[in-house]
Amino acid sequence: MLQQWWLHNKLKRLINNNKLGRPEHLQTHYQYLLTNFNQPISKTDLLALDIEMTGLNPKKDQMVSIGIIPIINGQIQPKFAQHKFIKIQGSVGQSAVIHGVLDKDLNNALTQQEALDWLFAQCQHKVLVAHHAQLDLQFLQQSLRKTGNKSFPLFAIDTLLIDKKRQFRKHQVLNTGSLRLNACRERYNLPIYNAHNALTDALACAELLLAQLNKMGGLETITLAQLLESH
Amino acid sequence: MDNSELQPIFDFMRKLAPFDSLQEQTLKQCCKVLTIAYYSQEQKLVHVDNNEPQLYIVRSGAFEVSTQEGKLIDRIGEGQYFGFSGMLSGEKVVNQVHILEDGLVYHLPAVMFDQLRANCHSFDRFFNQAFAKRLRNQSSLKHNHISTARITNIMSRELTTITRDATIHQAALLMSEKRLSSLIVVNDGELCGILTDRDLRNRVLAKGLTGTLLVEQAMTEHPTTIKPEALIFEAMLTMSENNIHHLPVVKDNKPIAIITSTDLIRSQSSQPLLLIGQIDRQNNLESLIQVSQKIPDLLFNLISSDAKAMEIGRVLTSVTDSLTRRLIALRQEQLGPAPMTFCWLAFGSQGRQDQMAGSDQDNALILEREATKIEKDYFKQLSEYVCSALNECGFPFCPGNIMAQNPKWQLTLQQWLQAFSKWIKTPDPSALLNATIFFDMRPVFGDLSLFKQLQTTVLKNTKNNDIFIAALSQNALQSTPPLGFFRSFVLERDGSEVKGIDLKHKGNALINDIVRIYALSVGIEEVNTIKRIEALIALSAIDKDIAMNLLDAWEFIAHKRLTNQGQQFNNTQPVSNYILPDSLSSLVRHQLKDAFKVIHEAQGTVKHKFLRQF
Repeated sequence: MLQQWWLHNKLKRLINNNKLGRPEHLQTHYQYLLTNFNQPISKTDLLALDIEMTGLNPKKDQMVSIGIIPIINGQIQPKFAQHKFIKIQGSVGQSAVIHGVLDKDLNNALTQQEALDWLFAQCQHKVLVAHHAQLDLQFLQQSLRKTGNKSFPLFAIDTLLIDKKRQFRKHQVLNTGSLRLNACRERYNLPIYNAHNALTDALACAELLLAQLNKMGGLETITLAQLLESH
Repeated sequence: MDNSELQPIFDFMRKLAPFDSLQEQTLKQCCKVLTIAYYSQEQKLVHVDNNEPQLYIVRSGAFEVSTQEGKLIDRIGEGQYFGFSGMLSGEKVVNQVHILEDGLVYHLPAVMFDQLRANCHSFDRFFNQAFAKRLRNQSSLKHNHISTARITNIMSRELTTITRDATIHQAALLMSEKRLSSLIVVNDGELCGILTDRDLRNRVLAKGLTGTLLVEQAMTEHPTTIKPEALIFEAMLTMSENNIHHLPVVKDNKPIAIITSTDLIRSQSSQPLLLIGQIDRQNNLESLIQVSQKIPDLLFNLISSDAKAMEIGRVLTSVTDSLTRRLIALRQEQLGPAPMTFCWLAFGSQGRQDQMAGSDQDNALILEREATKIEKDYFKQLSEYVCSALNECGFPFCPGNIMAQNPKWQLTLQQWLQAFSKWIKTPDPSALLNATIFFDMRPVFGDLSLFKQLQTTVLKNTKNNDIFIAALSQNALQSTPPLGFFRSFVLERDGSEVKGIDLKHKGNALINDIVRIYALSVGIEEVNTIKRIEALIALSAIDKDIAMNLLDAWEFIAHKRLTNQGQQFNNTQPVSNYILPDSLSSLVRHQLKDAFKVIHEAQGTVKHKFLRQF
């Protein structure tokens, strides 16, 4: 309860902060979070997100691709799924083995600034969802700084944290790897996808969230406030 | 590359019938417009919005469709569908969908569903409630195997005829002008004879007669004919049995073509015939057993050539018939001629001409009169020899001992009539068990008139015999086809799940039973299920849609049995009628399910029509 109150106030402060520069869509985004704060999640539009990076360190490594897929009225909408490559400095190097994005894929990619503008435009009226959201949001914040913007707090629903809490509540011992996306999905009898790309992972994350919400009492009863985390 | 393509959805959908038949571009569009929802057991029911119909494609989890009253309609798992019946019929769906296991479901909007049905024939066919059409098309894809090809494929288009009052001179001129070796002689458009080269030689020239002779004086009257539906192979058999080279093809008493031995040689459809020829030439049991070892090869060649199941059954039964006849002849060479006329009967699958691998023998004897002790001994020696020999040739002894070697089934015509009359008048359960076997009878060897008398009387007694037909129906309805498949199980109508399915007893046999009831109730002589159905349609004794659906379902299930047996044979497994759902593709599962549905509906009609029950 206390955490929810604190988040609510944080959002209010951010909206009143007129130093919010680019990307200009952020203010609308914060307003959407605030308006829907106590609404059931079924009434809130969500945007599952996954970012592929050259490594796991937001200070050193760079984003190479972003995949997004919205959840509207409690249903995942492949029609509005999008996938973008982002120009990087240097080469994807060995990380290509993980995300499968090659240097040549990045020839017609967006610049970092274009990618950020695109992404924040997409989530003006949506709540971000990611698995291990912290990492993705840190990369976005780092990217804001690198492109000469001011960095701001970002909010997301984190499917990893949801499962972590659920496991703790059940007094389950968490093994290494048991909170990985596929490990979580397996607990909900969701099919395992082998392709590892930003869009597939965004879809996998969206499906996981729907499964989790159903297990937690349904999309009608859970509010955004219960799920949202600040980073 | 389209960046926003969702590989996992596409990968799943492209393996799914009927989506697997769509063009890649269309399938990609499908994957784009669907939405994904998650259903959990806690919600109990899937809320189906009648105002916004859509196709529900199960990606994971398990669901159960039932009527409002709670009667189970279907259990649905990964890769199966629900919610389409309303879109096809335009009626409001009142069925309930229960969530058995949590899972992901793809929703395909009605707009896309309708568009796919309109643009893709195979897609529409898959979902169309007129499932019969789907099965029928399936069988029309089959190639014509040479042995099972019909004579219509090799018949000459043009038929040259002459009237019986023409002169031999005119006939000879016509034959030489058209380069023909025979002419069909007609009278008022109907066939009355045939005139061949051989007739001109033997009946005219050799006798010193002249061309002024009339055709009717030299022709062969009432020649052996064949129907246009006959198989090439049957035409060959008829010619070789009668030692003739010309066979008029007759439809409704009107000649439509002529088949010559040259036509047949050209069609090269010789494999089963070669085998029958070999059987006819063997002079001892050992060599017959050896020749009959080729029967499985023949069967599996026919299967792999994708011949129609009903035709494979006919070919295989012809081989069994020849083998039986040859064995009887061989034994009679040792025993001498029979002391009285008799008829060797075949029952069951041999009777119906739908034998498949592993069919056991069901046979019996009709004797002309009561046999003396010595005469009994003759038939004992004859029948024991033939039955054991058939067993050794690959047609196992009948477990129920319905065999000619059993004295119980060596009956005089009078005794047979009494036996049948008892079964018909007091149809207790064991009598009805017999009925399913004995009422499918066919003469294989001996005196046809004995058989004819028996059949005529039996049919007279069954025709319009409401009590007997009702008892027969009651018995046939004891066994029901499965509802469909659920994952790796077969789903029975009571909701239980079993591991595999016997396609003979839960499929073809049920159709045979239904059709037999109809056939006996109107006194149809045919015993082959397909021919019975055709005769029933001709008499308007059965609803044509039901009949056509049964024909399709019979052929589809039998074909599946055969291909399954073909696979078992190739893997050197024991050949059986048992099939495991895991070995079936998703399309075949759907089609088999439709075939079961046809049987179930036909059983309902039997219940309604013959038991006056609803």
